Amino acid sequence: MSAQIDATLRETFRALADVLIPAAEGMPAASEVGVHEAALDHILGLRPDLAERFFRGLRAAVGQTPEAVARKLNREDPEALSAIGLAAAASYYMQPRVRALIGYPGQENRPADPDETPEYIANGMLQQVIDRGPIYRPTPGR
Amino acid sequence: MNEQTGSRAQGSRRDDVADVLVIGAGPSGAVAARYLAASGFSVVALEQGHWPDANEFPGRRREYELVAQKRWHPNPNIRDLPRDYPVDTKNSDINPLMYAAVGGSTTLYAGHWTPFLPSDFRVRTLDGIADDWPFTYEELLPCLEEIEREVGVSGLPGNPAYPPQRAFPTPPLPIGKAGRKAVEGLDRLGWHWWPGTNAIPSVPHNGLNPCVRRGTCMTGCPEGAKSTVNITFWPHAIKSGARLITGVRVREIEVDGRGLATGAIYIDENGRERRQRASVVILCANGIGTPRLLLLSRSKQFPDGLANTSGLVGRRLMMHPFSAVLGVFEDELDGWRGPFGQLVESFEFYETDPKRGFLRGAKWGAMPGGGPLGVTSFVGSQIFESDEGGTVEEVWGESLHKLVERRFNHCLVYGIIGEDLPEESNRVVLDPELTDSDGIPAPKVIYKVSENSHAMLRFHVARCTEAVEASGAIETVVVHQVPDTGWHLLGTCRMGADPETSVVDPWGRAHDVANLYIFDGSTFPTSGGVNPTATIMSVALRQVQHMIAERRLQEAA
Repeated sequence: MSAQIDATLRETFRALADVLIPAAEGMPAASEVGVHEAALDHILGLRPDLAERFFRGLRAAVGQTPEAVARKLNREDPEALSAIGLAAAASYYMQPRVRALIGYPGQENRPADPDETPEYIANGMLQQVIDRGPIYRPTPGR
Repeated sequence: MNEQTGSRAQGSRRDDVADVLVIGAGPSGAVAARYLAASGFSVVALEQGHWPDANEFPGRRREYELVAQKRWHPNPNIRDLPRDYPVDTKNSDINPLMYAAVGGSTTLYAGHWTPFLPSDFRVRTLDGIADDWPFTYEELLPCLEEIEREVGVSGLPGNPAYPPQRAFPTPPLPIGKAGRKAVEGLDRLGWHWWPGTNAIPSVPHNGLNPCVRRGTCMTGCPEGAKSTVNITFWPHAIKSGARLITGVRVREIEVDGRGLATGAIYIDENGRERRQRASVVILCANGIGTPRLLLLSRSKQFPDGLANTSGLVGRRLMMHPFSAVLGVFEDELDGWRGPFGQLVESFEFYETDPKRGFLRGAKWGAMPGGGPLGVTSFVGSQIFESDEGGTVEEVWGESLHKLVERRFNHCLVYGIIGEDLPEESNRVVLDPELTDSDGIPAPKVIYKVSENSHAMLRFHVARCTEAVEASGAIETVVVHQVPDTGWHLLGTCRMGADPETSVVDPWGRAHDVANLYIFDGSTFPTSGGVNPTATIMSVALRQVQHMIAERRLQEAA
């Protein structure tokens, strides 16, 4: 897969990724966290199904300004833009720096104490539900 | 092809006639195999998928969200693995979802444990539509309680949405910040809620580890803490002597001159055709796969497909049209933390009120919002594509950063499961062109969401929006009738006493073939408005207990 990403296409992806994910709102641009580097090869290895649309979009983009390409793909080939954008965004939100900025530790283990009395019992919240009584319709004749 | 056997089966020959052949190793097939093997029946089970490998589940890896949209997607057409069969969905409003493995589609389910309610078994009597079941909630309850012990359900007893029953075997999981936020709104409105009941144990149970709230239940649990029958039932069945053959695809159920089933022809992974003979055949291949196989099993005696004198094989497909409401809040809600799994459930609007303009109802399950990609795509909607005519700036650029900042870690999602009423026009047929990787005709689904379902979901979306607003939501998002939500495949081989209007009798036996049974959700006369795995497993237990009790009367080829 990585053999297909020559320097020109990689640079095209970098520029387009920075249009889609720019430095703004206190967040770094996509290229600042290296989404166009080894991370891109990793992403395409994980999702080979994206390749056809991804490369189709990038080849159509070579030599044009990334802003114009994004608008053109959005208009004429949204599937290609979606594949390029997904590769950029997936890689972006996998980067530790980005995760730290948005406060995402990743899907982590946080075992709970099964013997702890739930708050909704301790504070009586659930009792209100119980006190309103059954809400099911019983089996007729029972 | 792999085979696992217990000690009693070792040395048995492939051409032996098994007492029982089970087709499909999901929840209902596992229940059948386990109890039959324990009662001394020789059991062979055929499964098109393989044993799931928890090390392959992506939940521990950074790319979890990315691969969830492809390799671990519940839609077989998107996943497109060799063991999946394709489904023609061009004429369906909803895409059927499933997974081929020991454990079946529960490999990827969320583990919501919501048994059918008493009214679900008496729809005709109570509401004048659809059909009653041939048994009641109370008759099924002992089976449900036994299944719950094996499954290791976590939950709190006393839910006023249900009649009293035996306590769950493991304590409830925490409802977390997102669940508490849901409760705030429901309490303000005086509406029913209950801490989520899940097929996810909170303490070690029957081979399962306790939940660690990783929140990746729907791509397989890497902790072995989501209850699936590859952990909870099959090891017991195999220990009792059952033979489970994986990686094989059944092509046809064969019959003899008297019209009795003699076994099945299947294709192994090398493309070789094989035959498994049996005295009794039980189909457990889900609401798409089971009618597909019956329709494939045409013969001179059964020109319209096996067990299809009624013409109902494949008809009355019910898939539970699904909508979701997302609430975004100022507070941080640990939106990526599990279980996923339902944190809180509500049955406030489950029972029929004709004044609402539709019959029957729906259950709500509150879930966390997911990771950063999850909050941008949201329950199956197309990821990173603007609406038609939309601009790049609406989805990308500063908008993406703002969207993630606003929603990620700040939202909860209500999933709305609405009862789907049976209609004969909603059906499974054989596709004239599409085939699986073995060249076997694929199923084609013809399904239209009914007016009753449209009205029901509109009502529930409006009430659900009120609930999240009462919880203090600063933004609400509605995803109405998402296509990739056909988790629940029900009704395509209806159970009933009358051979003219049903495929199997009240004990799951085909009216037309005295030694052919169906134990999966295909037999459900109605769909309820809840996730059906609890009821599928309970009904399978009821049927297999009867089969064991009546074994001496069983006709065989």
